[in-house]
Amino acid sequence: MIPDRHEERLSAKLRDATHRLFGRSLHVRTVDTGSCAVCESEIRLLTAPHYDLHRLGLFFTPSPRHADLLLVTGPAIRAFDRALEKTYDAMPEPKLVVAVGTCPMGGIYQEDEFVHGQLERVLPIDVFVPGCPPSPLALIQGLLVAVGRLAEKVGAEGFTTLDEQEEAP
Amino acid sequence: MTGTSDLLLVSVDVESHVCAMAQTPGVRFADFFGSVEDGQLVIRLVWALDAEHEYRVARWPARGTGYPPLSEVTPAAFVEECEIYEQFGVSPGKGKALNRLVIPPGAEHAFPRLGEAPAREHPLPHASHYVSGDAFEFPFGPVRGVGQESMYLGLVTSGEELIDLYLLQWHKHRGIERRLGGEEVARALFVIERAEGLSAVGNSWAFLRAVEEIAEVTPHPAVDRSRGVALELERLYNHAAAIAALCQSTGLAVGQAQAEIVLEQLLRLNAAVFGHRYLFGVLAPGGTSRAADADALVTSLPPTMDTLRRLVDALWATNSFVDRLESCGIVTPAEAARLGLVGPVARASGQDIDTRRDHAFGPYAEVAVEVPVRATGDVMARMSVMVAEMEESARLALDLAGAGLGAGTVEVPPATGSALGWCESPRGESLLWVDLDGGRIRRARVRPGSVRNWRAFDDAARSRNVFTDIPIIEASFWLTVAGLAR
Ligand code: SF4
Repeated sequence: MIPDRHEERLSAKLRDATHRLFGRSLHVRTVDTGSCAVCESEIRLLTAPHYDLHRLGLFFTPSPRHADLLLVTGPAIRAFDRALEKTYDAMPEPKLVVAVGTCPMGGIYQEDEFVHGQLERVLPIDVFVPGCPPSPLALIQGLLVAVGRLAEKVGAEGFTTLDEQEEAP
Repeated sequence: MTGTSDLLLVSVDVESHVCAMAQTPGVRFADFFGSVEDGQLVIRLVWALDAEHEYRVARWPARGTGYPPLSEVTPAAFVEECEIYEQFGVSPGKGKALNRLVIPPGAEHAFPRLGEAPAREHPLPHASHYVSGDAFEFPFGPVRGVGQESMYLGLVTSGEELIDLYLLQWHKHRGIERRLGGEEVARALFVIERAEGLSAVGNSWAFLRAVEEIAEVTPHPAVDRSRGVALELERLYNHAAAIAALCQSTGLAVGQAQAEIVLEQLLRLNAAVFGHRYLFGVLAPGGTSRAADADALVTSLPPTMDTLRRLVDALWATNSFVDRLESCGIVTPAEAARLGLVGPVARASGQDIDTRRDHAFGPYAEVAVEVPVRATGDVMARMSVMVAEMEESARLALDLAGAGLGAGTVEVPPATGSALGWCESPRGESLLWVDLDGGRIRRARVRPGSVRNWRAFDDAARSRNVFTDIPIIEASFWLTVAGLAR
């Protein structure tokens, strides 16, 4: 088992990063594209006392419209394409996608008539968290990496200030 | 003595066989499926004769229209009728209305199936749900709550009271049974574990029992005891997760946190004993792939059970919790028998069945299994059965460990033939019928307990319940969509 100190350091880093970027609230939406139900079990445990994602300023939200980050499990079943696309499109920019587990990496099911196999074929992915399933601790690490990527995205976004908007015709 | 018996029928006998079996007390409909053998569709019907410790597999070649409408005498068979039509294009007589299961709308003839596509696809299951007056259909899904599996629930409601409910599951169909065709046993095991990961041990043990019977090998008793420990640990963590979900669905945050502590402890125990939190990769053809750490089990399980007992005592003393459970989501004993339910859901509705006892296999032939049964069939009864089962599983795991655990495999030579394997997963009887050809799979039928028990979900949800009871009922069934849609 990973020593607690490692977990502590990881948590502190994640907390600092989310505080800096989101003022204590990064919202996460989950979506299942054909998992075996085990990755979902690990995701649910993120809010359990052992991991307690809330203390890090991360929250789950049932609405994609409030979500900054999409946690995706499963091998991207083709029959789910439309639902996945709608969920992703409903999220405001800048947004992140974290692929959870071996399934979305194409490691369980190869591309065929049922599945895309690799989630990358249908969604732009920022971070892969490997594992079958990835443990909650691995998921926290993945979220930390994703928050770092968001910083890059925010930097590249080119915010318009209020003054600029007023000047525009 | 436990075992299976084979029965070959000619088409004209099928109807009388089905009527006779369905009317015999103590005979339970267990499974019903097709397979293409030498270019010809063969239908198999599995009956469980629990009191006689026997599974009876009847088979007949389906020609022309196929078979008489079974679900008229055995309502439990309806889902399988739809499935056989969808996968093999054979229907139970003309004009019978069937539902669409895993073929998504819009993906018509070319969609990959086990046999030939039917001439005409089923309509959407909307057809039979007539919504009028004050009632409206509330669509929920397929993207659902946080950390929940994808599924579409059509809730027909008048605002509070639930009038009807139906499920659409094709969003999770991965074609597991089709994928297994042509695979070697080891690769098939990998896929079957992931068909329904929360019952990985239950389903894969059933599969391996079928394979080992065909190849005529028996794992060492000490190794089989290790498999038994894995199975009981799987039940323990699943039931803990169900209790956490029950607390969550009733808005009991403190109870939920406590249950999640127990759940996390049990998952860590799995990792300590077998090296994987969800016990993937523990079972192997001919035995187990890893040695169990019996010391970790003996030192960590009892204190975790103490934590669980304190939690359960507190929950039973919480009126606001108990009130939500009582008389909620009732499945009557008659209904449970009619729909062929299995596992904790069946036992909470008065069905005294458990394959570990009735069809004892491996280590369960040596140890007695206490089977808790409740009569009321509500959420309360299901929770009570789960709690009792956790006590029994902990006792069994420790007893099995006390008798000595072994690891390793005996060689499973590539064999030819077919057999039925079964196991008591956390969701109840899991059935795997396997047909091997020189060690490769010709056909594997995967029937997790979830498939049977989802059949009762709409009945439970309709019985005098309101909208907000649905998550409570779903938690008490503790099924998976992955296992249903495969
Ligand atoms: S990555 Fe593994 S654990 Fe996760 S959904 Fe896929 S098969 Fe299941």
